[in-house]
Amino acid sequence: MRRLPVYILIQTSGAMRGEPIEAIKVGLETMMASLRQDPFALESVWLSVTTFNRKPEQILPLTELENMQLPAIALPEAAGSHLGEALEFVCKKIDSEVQLSTPERKGDWMPLLFVMCDGRASDTLLFNKVIPVVKGKHFGKIVVCLVGNKVRTELVKLFANEVVNLETTDSATFRKFFEWVTVVVAEGNRSVGATSDISLPPPPPEINSII
Amino acid sequence: MSAININFPNGKVNQEYSIELKSVAEQFGIAELNFEGLEDLGLQYDEDEQQITGVPSLAGDHQIVMKYQLKDKQDGQPEFLSKEITLIINPDPKELWKKSIPTPENIAYYKPDSNKEFVKVETKITKKMLGLKQTKEARKDLVAASQRGRSHAIEGKPRDDDFALFFDEASEWYVMTVADGAGSAKYSRKGSEIACQTVIEVCKEQIAAKRAILEKAIRVLSKEQTQENRNAVGKTLYEIVGGAAFKAYKNIDAEVSKRAGENEQEAVAIKDYSTTLLIAICKKFDFGWFIGGFWVGDGGMGIYRKEPEYLKILGEPDGGEYAGQTRFLTMSEIMQAEEIYRRVRFDIVPDFTALILMTDGITDPKFETDANLNRIEKWHQLWRDLEGENEDRLKVDFTDDNEQAADQLLQWLDFWSKGNHDDRTIAILF
Repeated sequence: MRRLPVYILIQTSGAMRGEPIEAIKVGLETMMASLRQDPFALESVWLSVTTFNRKPEQILPLTELENMQLPAIALPEAAGSHLGEALEFVCKKIDSEVQLSTPERKGDWMPLLFVMCDGRASDTLLFNKVIPVVKGKHFGKIVVCLVGNKVRTELVKLFANEVVNLETTDSATFRKFFEWVTVVVAEGNRSVGATSDISLPPPPPEINSII
Repeated sequence: MSAININFPNGKVNQEYSIELKSVAEQFGIAELNFEGLEDLGLQYDEDEQQITGVPSLAGDHQIVMKYQLKDKQDGQPEFLSKEITLIINPDPKELWKKSIPTPENIAYYKPDSNKEFVKVETKITKKMLGLKQTKEARKDLVAASQRGRSHAIEGKPRDDDFALFFDEASEWYVMTVADGAGSAKYSRKGSEIACQTVIEVCKEQIAAKRAILEKAIRVLSKEQTQENRNAVGKTLYEIVGGAAFKAYKNIDAEVSKRAGENEQEAVAIKDYSTTLLIAICKKFDFGWFIGGFWVGDGGMGIYRKEPEYLKILGEPDGGEYAGQTRFLTMSEIMQAEEIYRRVRFDIVPDFTALILMTDGITDPKFETDANLNRIEKWHQLWRDLEGENEDRLKVDFTDDNEQAADQLLQWLDFWSKGNHDDRTIAILF
């Protein structure tokens, strides 16, 4: 079986407090419910959820969509957003969890990465170091969703294929965003081939796309 | 009172589900237990056995209510406490895959959702001894079928695969080809079609022009297996099959220009017509069979003999680190002399059961890995599968001149394999 690994990285400090994190949780649940209606996704999508503030933590290891249940997302009091460390963490997870093709085993589809954050990295040094590593990982697609009203775009542009900005963090906007993410994921495993990039459907008009 | 933390594993429609609650009851000191909302899903709670069982019939994220009474019920507490639990029931993918939307006929480069062909090569009667004695020789037939994958059918998208067959009665050369248009390329269905048509066209013409040289080189090689003799065969074979591949590339390129000229607003490039290509040409000689091939991309092509066992794979599948990565005829780096030559293969064998060309829609489910493509057990399995050893008891009857084989093969292509729903194309010489 070829798997489509989908990594979700969620910042749990700063901009995420309050309404956003609730909306993300609802959004993820809705997304999983719709993916289960898509036979391709149901048979191939594997999801992993990692949260980060000062430290990254994988709250859901790479799990088959069929068997997965969304764990609770805790919001600690800790401030700080170590985006560099979080990306490095996800890259390491990919090294150990994603299967490459060998003569004896079919490789997975190229992994997808969705990051939800405010675009800030308090660990600048590590962040700069980790960018080439992320670039070398052959993600099918990296989508960053900026949340909050004091977001920074420069840093995330360095590694994302697509950056969307959710200026309003109400649940309706999030719902639109996750509907779009669902399409991207469902599309992800049937479009690889002729080009190295997978084709990405355009985001809905409600979402302010930066790149 | 401790919070009752309980998770039900996900279930699946039409699949037996059971969860025992004895340990949960003990852990949380529950005296009595009941559920609301199970019946609607096709599940029951058995109080004596303290377990939920049944076959879920309804997919979705369901909220069920657990009513429970604690052993050490405090005064003033209600008789029964309740807790909402989410029970996720996955749909049966087989049901979801049943949806099939015909491809709209008004799209550019429309192609039917399936295709099949049988080329009957009749028994040859040769008169010997001044016509006093005659020998009858059954000759191998060609059959092929191509079916749109479920992943395309569910979205009403066209089939991207293609094939073509040809037998030249005058020279007794067989030509067969299959091509798999890339899923991500918008006009790959036309790319694969042009490739297959071109292969037949060029091979027909080149065999007519070069068969004397080629057949002579093959005869020489059959007597003496030297590198020099191999090179002589390789050179002419390269001109025929390599030439066909090259012309296929050129014809696709010409179609790109034509399309661009007709539709100025539309940006088209050759990568929009990306396709893989497998070609085989072969002929029977008095010393055995000669089979030559060319292969770019994934899928598989092999000469298989059931008894005595023999297997020769005519090339290597092009794969990448990740699933779905392969190489295409339409990549400029493939259209280099050395690269084309590297992909030309041939073999001389006494006889064979089948020469099979397939796209990855077949090799992925039937062989799974590149290593398995080289294992004869997997080919034995595939052959038995084709002969009816499968879940649906679908059988292709490979007796000589059986024209029904095309229909049977097309039906066989509908086999079920979890996660494998790509276009499927297979061409067999038997």
